[in-house]
Amino acid sequence: MNDGVWRKAFLIAWLIAFSGLASADVPAGGRLDLAEYQGKVVVLDFWASWCVPCRRSFPWLNEMTGKYADAGLVVIGVNVDKEPASATEFLKQYPATFRIHYDNDGVLAKEFGVQAMPSSFVIGRDGAIKEHHLGFKVKRQEKYEAVIVAQLQQEKVE
Amino acid sequence: MRRKENRSISAALAAATCSLLGNGIAAAVDAQEEPAWDFNTSLLYYGEDSDRVKDFSVSAIARRMFVDDRFLALGLTVDSLTGATPSGAIRQDVAQTFTRPSGDAAYAVPAGVLPLDDTFLDTRVAITAGWQQPVGEKSLINVGASASREYDYTHIGVNAKFARDFNKRNTTLSAGIAFSMDSLDPVGGAPTPFTPMLDVGDTRNRIGDQDKDVLDVILGVTQVVSRNLIVQANYSYSMSDGYLTDPYKVLSLVDGTTGDTLVRTLTPGVDGPSHQFLFENRPDERTKHSIYGQAKYYVNGKVLDASYRYMTDDWEIDSHTVDLRYRIPFGNDQYLEPHLRFYAQSEAEFYKLSIRDDQPLPSFASADYRLGDFEAITAGVKYGWKTRDDNEMSVRAEWYGQTGSIPVGQILGNQAGRDNYPDLNAIIVQFGYRF
Amino acid sequence: MNRTIGIAFVAMMLCGGCASMGIEPWERDVLAKDEMQLTTDEIEAATDDHIYFSKEASSGGRGFGGGGCGCN
Repeated sequence: MNDGVWRKAFLIAWLIAFSGLASADVPAGGRLDLAEYQGKVVVLDFWASWCVPCRRSFPWLNEMTGKYADAGLVVIGVNVDKEPASATEFLKQYPATFRIHYDNDGVLAKEFGVQAMPSSFVIGRDGAIKEHHLGFKVKRQEKYEAVIVAQLQQEKVE
Repeated sequence: MRRKENRSISAALAAATCSLLGNGIAAAVDAQEEPAWDFNTSLLYYGEDSDRVKDFSVSAIARRMFVDDRFLALGLTVDSLTGATPSGAIRQDVAQTFTRPSGDAAYAVPAGVLPLDDTFLDTRVAITAGWQQPVGEKSLINVGASASREYDYTHIGVNAKFARDFNKRNTTLSAGIAFSMDSLDPVGGAPTPFTPMLDVGDTRNRIGDQDKDVLDVILGVTQVVSRNLIVQANYSYSMSDGYLTDPYKVLSLVDGTTGDTLVRTLTPGVDGPSHQFLFENRPDERTKHSIYGQAKYYVNGKVLDASYRYMTDDWEIDSHTVDLRYRIPFGNDQYLEPHLRFYAQSEAEFYKLSIRDDQPLPSFASADYRLGDFEAITAGVKYGWKTRDDNEMSVRAEWYGQTGSIPVGQILGNQAGRDNYPDLNAIIVQFGYRF
Repeated sequence: MNRTIGIAFVAMMLCGGCASMGIEPWERDVLAKDEMQLTTDEIEAATDDHIYFSKEASSGGRGFGGGGCGCN
């Protein structure tokens, strides 16, 4: 089982690296290599400038980053705008304290099988996808946070 | 107010609803701020030529967003109407007099002039309310109510609609229903159908207040075709039951050979109609079916909106509507949007230019031009821009014209030389402000 | 009447049958724009519906739902 998990993590990292290459001239973001976050809990949040609920999710993602970064939480906002410039406009109004990765061709979105916008994937310390939710509901913030806390409490699996 | 205040489901829903997904109402707030109010307001002028109907209207829709895509929408419209409308009587080569619908006075129409009834001063107030919220992950529900009041017409109605997404939200199926209960309290009381117009002060042929119920059902499918193209198809069913006649409209009773309206002997000292007119009579039920298709296509920043509607009913009216809009953005958040609409309808089975005295009375008859055979064109342009504080303003100016024709078999004798169909020419000017 | 219903039914089925047609959820940038909503200005739509209802024998037809950014 561990082998399968490692294989999947490397596959994802490899694909991400390629998508990073494709979007070479982007603002801060560059290449994403998930393998470097092994041992941490990663929240991968797919967002776009035209997505209205994303405006509500950003303050919450900032809050999660502030609260749990020391405990090992990494939040990565994956932007799927066709033009990175659209994302820049959005980020001026809703700044992010977390890392933004640019997936302008949607390669990563497709790999993760994003079904709706926004989509959030919680990846455990072992590199496997533990939970994902579609959309962002302010009323469910506590539930979203509980999932993160539960994953943070997991010991790193060998 | 003479217009039929039947709030069709589309009017009620359009006013009470906002599209849940991604339209401009989403206020730029972050999760910590209070949900904002959004206002959509307008000033409208509708004016037909010469002495015919003029309307000033003020509208406002206030929308408030609650947490997680819940919306409350409240609408208010106030209309002020003046002007005259064709009474259904045909023009003659001599002057004619008519009794007003109230029965209190008479009015005269010069020779050769289309008889218009100008008892039209009226103010109408209409309100709508709607609530919309998501249901589960993929559906949304909207419920609403509407009411309107003018001096001779009251409407109340409720509506509900449900929409569900499929196929990664590329396909949406929707169903809606609306029910209206309207009542008419015509000035002087509704006249007994097919009875003659009587002298001033004579109210023998009145039957008092009337009611009408309308049920509308709509089924629709919306499909995302590509990143730039979305299409929609709807089927609508509408059933009206009750008093569907226009209490103020008449038909001229004419000689079967000459086509001239029969003269009436006036009592000396008493005002009344100079000729013989019969109040119209329509069936007490009407069933309509419509199919509607719309496509919105985005090409290089411009948007083409094209729609077609076909309507058929059991009054034997068929109609076709083609509506085209082309939005062209330019400059800083400005746009021009030319608009073209074509409409054609065939006359109702009981539409008659006049009633001939040498044949038995038909079951139903109306000379209301709105049930006749005509084509209409709307042509206009809308200009929109953003104000300094980032709010949207717009102005549109349109011309609306109808040209009708009378079925050949209905033109009798001297009617042939006259311009019988009351063609319509109107301008529409509307200012909009969203903030 | 039956023919109309039949045509409407077939049209619906055809549209429903395009079940695999469409775009990915992250490709809805254009459809999310205000000007790409099925009804862009509801007061204008309500005004037109009211004018044409008063002056013609047909009314309504326009529907609701679908399109947009597809979020939440």
